[in-house]
Amino acid sequence: MATTGFDEQRIIDEPVTTPATVKAARKGGNWLLNLAMILISILMFIPFYWVLVTAFVPPLEAFGKPPDWTPTNLTFDNVQRVFDAMPFWRQFFNSVKVSLLVTVGSVTTSTMAAYAFARLQFPGRDVLFVVFLAALMVPGQVTVIPTFILMRNLGLMNTHEALWIPGLISVFGIFLLRQFFLRTPRDLEEAARLDGAGYMRVMFQIALPLAAPAISALAVLNFQAAWNDFFAPNLFLTTPDMFTLPVGLVSLRAMFGGTPTTIFAGITMVLIPVLIVFLLAQRRLTESIALTGIRG
Amino acid sequence: MSAGVTGSESTITATGLQSHSLPAAVRRREAIVAYALLSPAIILFLVFIAGPLVGAIVLSFYEWDLLTDAQFVGLDNYRKLFHDSSALAAVRNTFVFAFWSLITHVGGGLLLALMVQRSIPGVLKYVFRTAIFFPVIMSWASVSLIWLFILDPNFGFINYYLEQLGIPTKSWLLMPDTALPAIIIVDWWKTIGFTFIILLAGLQGVPEHLHEAAKIDGAGSTRRFRDITLPMLSPTLFFTAILTFIGAFQIFEPMYIMTKGGPLDSTVSIVMKIYMTGFQRFEMGYASAMAIGVFVVIMLVTLVQMWVGKYWVFYD
Repeated sequence: MATTGFDEQRIIDEPVTTPATVKAARKGGNWLLNLAMILISILMFIPFYWVLVTAFVPPLEAFGKPPDWTPTNLTFDNVQRVFDAMPFWRQFFNSVKVSLLVTVGSVTTSTMAAYAFARLQFPGRDVLFVVFLAALMVPGQVTVIPTFILMRNLGLMNTHEALWIPGLISVFGIFLLRQFFLRTPRDLEEAARLDGAGYMRVMFQIALPLAAPAISALAVLNFQAAWNDFFAPNLFLTTPDMFTLPVGLVSLRAMFGGTPTTIFAGITMVLIPVLIVFLLAQRRLTESIALTGIRG
Repeated sequence: MSAGVTGSESTITATGLQSHSLPAAVRRREAIVAYALLSPAIILFLVFIAGPLVGAIVLSFYEWDLLTDAQFVGLDNYRKLFHDSSALAAVRNTFVFAFWSLITHVGGGLLLALMVQRSIPGVLKYVFRTAIFFPVIMSWASVSLIWLFILDPNFGFINYYLEQLGIPTKSWLLMPDTALPAIIIVDWWKTIGFTFIILLAGLQGVPEHLHEAAKIDGAGSTRRFRDITLPMLSPTLFFTAILTFIGAFQIFEPMYIMTKGGPLDSTVSIVMKIYMTGFQRFEMGYASAMAIGVFVVIMLVTLVQMWVGKYWVFYD
């Protein structure tokens, strides 16, 4: 915010008085808008609430007309049916494994590359960076066909390696972290260099701790993207014991015992941990998205 | 960056150390460290981005079903695209989807962001933001399944309430004229929170003193919105429009899970078509040609964004 230095600013702030009628009208308008906001919130939340409630209703009592929004006869049977119909914990573990490997791996390679691009001088730096930048425009649909053929030839179909190895690189992450390093002052790092600290020591002990907010933002976003990914797991995985949760959930529909209430229980079991993490980390997550512009 | 170093004796400046005048040995050491740090990214880049990109371009000139030998067919795959009615339907559907997605996201996102950017109770602000943003972090798999049931005439509640209101109902996802609009609505519900958050950040970046000054000059809220908020927000609006378009152009999951592209190809998106061509019918060359088409569109849009951004976005 630019400071003009005019003292009048302070003075004229006060005398502007709004007539009482205008104030009342504005208040009324605000009140209507607040009501609209409550209605929108409810509408946005209804689908989730519906799933949450229906997940605990006995199959024969669910989906009545008119819909029962506050059922009293609740049961955990549907949850049990999920465990019967799909290897839930196995798929949960698969999701955690793939998402963690992708997150840790891509954040590591991005940080290393971004630091080199932002702080070190080497021949070919600018050309190399432009090449990486251009790769931001290459959509996953283009690379997935040759990658599919590659994984097939390597015998990696229906393995988690087919998912997390290509996920180890995030061109966007390199770009994001480089921007962050460029924005932070390098005085400290230079002072340490002059005091005789090596490149690695400067990077690990000075630059990385300062970049922690950006690195953790990238980690959150990458984890969320890997956790929710459907396209690649659906393409590369073929057996239920290898599935990640999103693929497992969708396949539940085609399965024996995959009644709507069972599917709802499955969705709820996947969503509850997400909701908890979300409520705890909402600020961080929304800030990361505002900062980076990654579409969920 | 400007050189701020005299001789080999390094001095520290605001822009930093310049190694142009550092001893050759130091410079070489720095280059080795840099390449060591970059090597994992470079190798992965070559294997999983650059290599496949070249591979897809080459493949697009071949006909290959993974089993028999690949046949060079020149531009036939690209020519075929213009005569393949279902591929053309996919292109049309994707542009229709992207168009409405863009309009409803930017317009709706702006309205929602403006609603929050007032003095309102903190609780309401929190609930509103949470309700709008939560679907963003849900997976498309969950969202598609949920809406599949919501829109279902037997299981869902939508039709019940529409009937109560006297609105004619149908099996929305099973009718060619309503399936795509239904998916546009589902996509809005799922991703509007993203647009909302970015536009909200943009609104918060509009300096308050501009509004105050205009208020003192007697500008009403409509006038202030038109002459201050909109111009100041235009870079953000443009940015969200581009991101929405690129995201919408690659839509796949809701179609794949909810409608399988039907009825009558009315919800086949380009990416869905690529998926069916490449991984269900194993026409690798043809699928690659389509993917290259997506690449070209996204590249053009991104270049337009960069070009416009250069003249439009101002940094201060």
